[in-house]
Amino acid sequence: MITVYKAGNSWLHGIPAGRKLLALTLLLLAISIWGRGAIALGAGAVLCQLAFLAAGFGIAGFARQIWAMRWLLLVMLVPGLIFLPWQTAITNTARLVECVLLASVFSFTTKTADLLKTIERAATPLRRVGVNPASIGLVLTMTISSIPLILKFAGNVREAQMARGVQPNIVRTTVPLLVASLKHSDDFAEALMARGVEV
Amino acid sequence: MILLNSVSVTFENKVALSGVSVQLPQQRIGVIGLNGSGKSTFARLLNGLVKPTSGTVAVNAINLSIDARAARAQVGFIFSNPDLQIIMPTVAEDVAFSLRGKGLSAAELDSQVAEALERFGLTELANEAAHSLSSGQKQMLALCAVTIAQPALIVADEPTALLDAANSAQVQNFLLNEWQGQVVLVTHDLGLVETCDVLLRFEAGKLAEVGEPATVIANYKKSFA
Ligand SMILES: Nc1ncnc2c1ncn2[C@@H]1O[C@H](COP(=O)(O)OP(=O)(O)OP(=O)(O)O)[C@@H](O)[C@H]1O
Ligand SMILES: [Mg+2]
Repeated sequence: MITVYKAGNSWLHGIPAGRKLLALTLLLLAISIWGRGAIALGAGAVLCQLAFLAAGFGIAGFARQIWAMRWLLLVMLVPGLIFLPWQTAITNTARLVECVLLASVFSFTTKTADLLKTIERAATPLRRVGVNPASIGLVLTMTISSIPLILKFAGNVREAQMARGVQPNIVRTTVPLLVASLKHSDDFAEALMARGVEV
Repeated sequence: MILLNSVSVTFENKVALSGVSVQLPQQRIGVIGLNGSGKSTFARLLNGLVKPTSGTVAVNAINLSIDARAARAQVGFIFSNPDLQIIMPTVAEDVAFSLRGKGLSAAELDSQVAEALERFGLTELANEAAHSLSSGQKQMLALCAVTIAQPALIVADEPTALLDAANSAQVQNFLLNEWQGQVVLVTHDLGLVETCDVLLRFEAGKLAEVGEPATVIANYKKSFA
């Protein structure tokens, strides 16, 4: 489910990052506001499929992405079906899945550097209140790029607990994960400085 | 040229380094010493990650206390844990990050990045998620990202600590044979620094010895035997 840029020459690859980001935002808003009922959600599904085609990933790429989201689907759908009316559960899940699919098409077709520039440009007015736009872009990018690392920490924590005979759960994982992430954040700051970013 | 003039570093009230004066014109400089002897503190001084509590540090005549930014642009730093050096999501983007703000055109940037990736055998991995690489590949990525900025000096603090023998040899080969600039290599792997031009040995926060690798290694072994 973690998505990174996939090189390509499709129509979607060619659209400037800013316009794509705007379109994505509007689409996500539209889905959250009007994404109710079979027709609207069906239209959303068709849109997602079209987006994958326009990005040159085809039906196969679409199917792969859905498969990558199987756990998210389960986590959303199963408790929903138990605790909510089934229509609501399916609507909620479909909405989320459509949003994630569109967002992943966006990240597949947009270079991080381009996204960074766009965010920096969009954040320029914040300069007046003393915020450096470059650092906003950098923080967002680093957040994106360090997700796999955080997942790896989580894996390490769970393995260490199981090795010592403790059954990991959300609470038991979260606390050491936070500690590990905080501990590493100092080292991250050093590495950033070493690469010429003043933090 | 690295120049330290009676440098001391104190953290809160713990002395990490005291009274270090040394002049290092050599190209390949190895640094050894026991845990906590001050090696990393010395390495970090060289690009301003640590500030001297007293004394001065200069790299190629740039005083780090006066112009840390300019000095840092001249000094590339490699850490032990390659995970923490990755800034951008993909391999090529991470390398390109080192060239930001240099005013290159997109085409120049792409060609420089492609060339650097080629040199480190990373071409095939250009569009992979940087975090999905093996530790050895990540350390090559870190070297690639550092060298593309053309520093005058590379400081590597135990760059092979997390690597297997083959990857260690590759990193060693790059730093000591291929790299034509100055290098400071901190390590516990004595085999790695045997061929350096000069070896520094730290002991309890003091620079105990500067000299021929064979002599310094022999004295190091005697010091804790
Ligand atoms: N940020 C810090 N805060 C407090 N004390 C520190 C800090 N960094 C280093 N020290 C202390 O300074 C001394 C020298 O540490 P340094 O990291 O330079 O040793 P080292 O030779 O690199 O050791 P190792 O082989 O374990 O990496 C140690 O006693 C250490 O505990
Ligand atoms: Mg150290």
